[in-house]
Amino acid sequence: MKGSKASNLLRRLLYALIAIVGVATLVFVLLRMVPGNPVATLLGEHADKETVERISSSLGLDKPLPVQFADYLLGALRGDFGQSYTLGKPVSELIGPAFVNTLWLALAAALVSWVVGIACGLAAAIHKSTIVDRLFMGFSLLGVSLPVFMVAMLLQYVFARYLHWLPVAGVTDWTGYILPAIALGWGSAGSIARLVRSSVIEVLQQDYIDTARAKGRTGTQILVLHALRNAMLPVITLMAMQFSGLLSGAFITETIFSINGIGRLAVQAIAGRDIPLLQGTTLLCTFVIVMGNLVADLLYSVCDPRVRKEA
Amino acid sequence: MLTVPLYGLLAQGCASQTTRAKRGSMVTATATDMSTMDMAHNDSVYWAQLNIFDRLFETRMIDGQATVVNSLCTDYRRSEDGLTYDFTLREGVLFSNGDPLTSSDVCYSFSRLLTEAAANTEIPLQIKGGEALMKKRADKLEGFNIKDNTHFSIVLEAPNGGFIAELSSPAMSIVNERVTRTAKNFGKEPTETIGSGPYYAAEWVPNDHFTMRYNEHYWGEEPTVKEAVRRIIPDASTQDLMFQNGEMDIISLSEIDSLIVQRSYKTERASQIVHNQQIGMTFVALNETNRFLKDVRVRKAICMAIDVNDIVHNLMCDDGMRQNGIIPTGIWGHNDKLEGPPFDPDGARALLAEAGYHDGDVSFEFALSSNGPQLLYETVSNQLSKIGVKANIKVYDKAAFMEKRLAGEVESFIGTWFMDYNDPANIMAVFFGGPERSKGRSICYPNVDIMQRVSAAKHIVDDEKRKKEYQDLERKIVIEDRAWIPLYEGTRLFCTGDRVESFTPFWAGYEDFCVKDVVLKKEARA
Amino acid sequence: MDPSGNFDVTSMAEGELGLSSPSVVYEEPASVWHRLARNHKISIVSIVVILLFVLGAIFAPLLTPYEYDAVSLSERLMPPSPTHLFGTDEVGRDVLTRMLYGSRMSLIIGIVPTMLSMAIGTLIGMTAGYFGGKVDTIIMRVADIVMSFPSMLLAMVVMYTLGGGTFNVFLTMAFVGWAGVARVVRSETLKLKESEYVEAARIMGVRRFRIIARHILPNCLPTIIVLFTLDIPAAILTESSLSFLGMGVQPPSASWGLMVNAGRAFLYHAPWLCFAPCLAIMVIVLAFNYLGDGLRDVLDPHLQSQ
Repeated sequence: MKGSKASNLLRRLLYALIAIVGVATLVFVLLRMVPGNPVATLLGEHADKETVERISSSLGLDKPLPVQFADYLLGALRGDFGQSYTLGKPVSELIGPAFVNTLWLALAAALVSWVVGIACGLAAAIHKSTIVDRLFMGFSLLGVSLPVFMVAMLLQYVFARYLHWLPVAGVTDWTGYILPAIALGWGSAGSIARLVRSSVIEVLQQDYIDTARAKGRTGTQILVLHALRNAMLPVITLMAMQFSGLLSGAFITETIFSINGIGRLAVQAIAGRDIPLLQGTTLLCTFVIVMGNLVADLLYSVCDPRVRKEA
Repeated sequence: MLTVPLYGLLAQGCASQTTRAKRGSMVTATATDMSTMDMAHNDSVYWAQLNIFDRLFETRMIDGQATVVNSLCTDYRRSEDGLTYDFTLREGVLFSNGDPLTSSDVCYSFSRLLTEAAANTEIPLQIKGGEALMKKRADKLEGFNIKDNTHFSIVLEAPNGGFIAELSSPAMSIVNERVTRTAKNFGKEPTETIGSGPYYAAEWVPNDHFTMRYNEHYWGEEPTVKEAVRRIIPDASTQDLMFQNGEMDIISLSEIDSLIVQRSYKTERASQIVHNQQIGMTFVALNETNRFLKDVRVRKAICMAIDVNDIVHNLMCDDGMRQNGIIPTGIWGHNDKLEGPPFDPDGARALLAEAGYHDGDVSFEFALSSNGPQLLYETVSNQLSKIGVKANIKVYDKAAFMEKRLAGEVESFIGTWFMDYNDPANIMAVFFGGPERSKGRSICYPNVDIMQRVSAAKHIVDDEKRKKEYQDLERKIVIEDRAWIPLYEGTRLFCTGDRVESFTPFWAGYEDFCVKDVVLKKEARA
Repeated sequence: MDPSGNFDVTSMAEGELGLSSPSVVYEEPASVWHRLARNHKISIVSIVVILLFVLGAIFAPLLTPYEYDAVSLSERLMPPSPTHLFGTDEVGRDVLTRMLYGSRMSLIIGIVPTMLSMAIGTLIGMTAGYFGGKVDTIIMRVADIVMSFPSMLLAMVVMYTLGGGTFNVFLTMAFVGWAGVARVVRSETLKLKESEYVEAARIMGVRRFRIIARHILPNCLPTIIVLFTLDIPAAILTESSLSFLGMGVQPPSASWGLMVNAGRAFLYHAPWLCFAPCLAIMVIVLAFNYLGDGLRDVLDPHLQSQ
C-alpha cells in the first residue's frame, strides 16, 4: 500500500514536470513565431539596420533556433533566464522581488476572499431559500460577473480619489495593498461563497447531522463541528487552486494599481517584446500553478477519509 | 464587501502621510522604465543622463529660441576651415565620487560610444578616425588630442557647422573614466555609474522606482530638490489620479486627453501649468514605392484632405501649432514663410480624378505601431475617407512595425520626430540624407540628387549659406515633391503640484527634464 | 477560477457538475422549459435579456441614426443629452451607437470561440475518455500543459503571437478554452463507459463510433450545454480583459472591452464613456450566468433534488 502511495506521488511529480517543460517549449515556439526583431524596439527610432543586426547577434538571436532553445532550457534549469531586453538586468533578479510583491498581494487577496466567501456562503446555507440566501448568492454572482478592472477602477475612485483614505497606486507601505487585495479577492470570494453554500447544504442533509441534532447539540455547534468541517474539503481544494491562480493571475490588478509584481512584469514584457523576461515570468507562473494543483491534490487525499482509504 | 469599510477605517490614519513626499524630495512618474543609464545603449530615455552627467555645452531655451551655452566647457575656438576645435574645460569640476574631471574623461566618453558601437554613434563618428575606432581598426580616437587636464582639441573628418550644438546632446555626456573602465555593470548599477551632474543615482529598483540625490561635489548652484524619486506608473489615468491625490509633484499631461486637460487642469490649476514647445515634428509618411502613393497628385490630394487646423484645434485643444515644412519651429533654420496647401476636400477630389482615380480606388495600409497615437490615426483615416481614399488602419506590434519600416515596406504611417540638437541636419539628414536612410524610414524618396545635397549641406561652414541650402531643399521636398506631409508641432504641458514654486522643462520638449530646474516652495524644502 | 476576473467554469464544473450521475437520460426540451419556468424565473428573465441584446445587435443600424465610426472632432466627449443618449466618445462618436455595434462583436466573441472550444474539447475529451490508454495519457498531458498556463497569460502570449484582430481573438480563445472542456467531458465519458447500457451495447457488438454517437454524446449533452452557457460570459470577460490590456479587438471595430479600455482614461472626467459598456458587460454576463445556473439545476438531477 505504501509503495502505491509513493508511486502515485512520483507519477504526479512527473506529470508536473512534463507540464512545466511543455509550457517552456510552447512559450519558446510561440514567441519565435512572432514576426519582427525585438531588438528594433529596444534600440528605438534612431537605430539603423546595421546596428540592429549587430546587437541581435550579440544577444545570440542569430543562432539557429534549436541552439537557442537548448541555451534557454539549460539556463532555465540553473535559474538563469538571461538578460531582460527592456530593463537591462538579469531576469532572475527582476522576477525575485516581483514575486515577493505578488505573494503579499495574493495573500491579502486570499484573506479577503476566504473571509468574505466563507461568511457569505455559510450565511446563505443556513438561511437557505430565504431572502438572505438570494441576496448573498445574487451578490456572489455579481462578484464573478464583474470584470476585475471595473471593481479596481471603482475602488480607486471611491477610496483614493474621493475619500483620500488610501493611495491611488503603487506600494510604499502596507496600505497600498488594501485596494488591490479587495479588487483581486472579490471574484474568488464569489465562487468560494457559492461552493461553501452548496457543500454546507449537502452536509446538513447527511444522516450524522440528524444524529448530532438528536444528541442535543446546538445549531452553532453542529455548524462548526460538523457541517463546516466536512463541507470544507472541496472548499480547501478550490482555495489551494485559487491561491496559485491569484499568485499568477494578477495581470490587470497589478497593472491598474502599479504594483511591481509578476503580472505587471509579464504585461510589460509583452508590450516591450522582452522575450527573456516573458519566458521567465511565464515559467514562474506555470511553476506556481502546477505546484498549487499538486498541493490541492495532496490536500484532498490527506483530508478526505474516503480518498485516504482507497490509497 | 463587508471588509471594505473596515479596511478603510484602519487605513484612514496613515494614508494622508504616506501619500505625500518628504521635505526636499520630489516625486514624478513615467510610463516605462529606462533600460540603462548608459548613453551608449539608450537613446530614448534621458532622465538619468540629464541629471547625473554634464556635457561640454547645454542647450537652453532663451526667448523662445534654442541657444547653446557653455557648461563643462568654458571656451572654444574653431579653425578657419571648420575642421579643428580647441576646447577649454571648467576648472575644479569633480565627479560625484570626488574624482576630478579632466580632458581624458572627455576623450574616454566620446571614444566609448564608438567602441560600444550601439546607440548614439552618429556624432562621435564625425571625429577624425572615428570610423576606424568603431570598426576596431584603431585603438584610439585619432582626432582627439589631449593637451593637458583642461585643454584638448578635436579634429573633424569634414566640417560641420552644427557640431557645437551636437555636443550638447545628452548622448555626449561625460562619464568618469576610472570608474567606468573597471565597472562590471555601468549604466545599471548606481554605484558604478558616476557623473559630475547635480545628482547621483542612489537607488534603482527596475520597473518600480529610480531615486537620485543631490551630488555634494556639484560645481553649479545648489538646487532646492535634494532627492528626486521617479516611479514607474504605466497608466496615464493612474498618474492623473495620483497627481490629483497629491502623490506626485509634477505630471506630464501629454498622455492625458487634451479635452480632459482643458476641462480639469486648465480650468482648476491654470496657474500651475507649464507649457513647453515639443521641438519636434509630427508628420505623415507616404511610401513612394506604393502604386498609388508614388503619384505626386495623390500625395498632394492627401495633403489637402487632412484638416490640420481641425486636428490642432479640436483634437489637441490648441496645444500645438500647424507646421508646413520639415524643420520645426524653434530650431535654427526653421522657415516660417512656407505655406501648405489649404484644406480643400473638393480640390483634393478633383486632383485625384485628374490622376485617374475615383471613389475608393486609392487604398493603402495605414500602419499603427501598438503604442502609437490611435485617435490621430482614426481621425486622419476618417478625413481621407471623405475624399474616397481608404487608409486602412492596421495595428502592428512595435517590433514588427520597426522591422517593416527599416525594410522600407510600411505603406504609410504617422511619425513624430523629436530633435536632439539644434540643427536642421538632425531631421533633414535623418529622413532625406540618402537612399538608404529614406528607405529605412519607409518614405523611399526617389530623388537622389536632392538627397546628396541634403547629406552634403552639413559641411557648409558658413551659417547663412547652410541655412539657405536647407531651406531650399526643404521647399523642394515638401512643396514640389510632397514627399513629406507635415502636420504639427506639439506643445508639452506639465502641471506642477502645490509644493513646487517654479519649473522649467527641457528645451526640446522631452518628458525628461533637469531636476535642478525645479524650485520647491520654502515649506517643502529640506 | 481565474483571479484576473474571469469566471473559469471548469473548476466549478469539476466540483459541481462532476457530481452528476451518469444516468441522465434524454430530456424532452419542453420539460426543461417548464422546469426552468417553474423553479428558475430568473433564468427566463435572463433569456429575455439575452434576446434583447441579440435583437439590438442585429438591428443596430435601424436603432440609431449615427455611424459607429463617424469621427466628429468638434463634438468630442459630450455628456449625455437628448441627441446623444450616452454622450460621445473621445473622437466624437456616439457612445450608444458604438455600444450597439459593439454588442455584435461581444456576442460573437462570446459565442463563436466558445462553440469552437466546445467542439474541440468534446471531441478530444470523448476520444481520451473512451479509448483510454496511451491516447488518453497523451491528450491529458497536453491538456495539463494548456491548463497549467495561467489562462490570461496564455491568451496574451497567443494574441501576441498572432497579432491583434477579431479572427485571432477567436483562435486564441478556442486555443485556451478546449482543455477545460476536454477534461470535464472525459470524466463524464469515463463514467458513462462503465454504465450498464454502454456495457450492454458493447456486448451486443455495436461499433465504437456508434456507441459514442448514440450513447455517450447525448448523455454528455446536458453537461456540455451547461458548460457552454457558463463559458460564454467567461469568454466575454476574457475578451474585455484582453481588450482592456490593448491586446484584443482592434479599432476602429467596436467591442465593449475596447470601449471600456478607451473610456478608462476618462472614467473620472467623462464617466459616460465607460458606464454604458461596463453596464452591458455586467448585465449580459449576469444573464448568462443565471441561465447557466438554472440549466444546471434543471439538467442535473443530483443538484436539483436539493
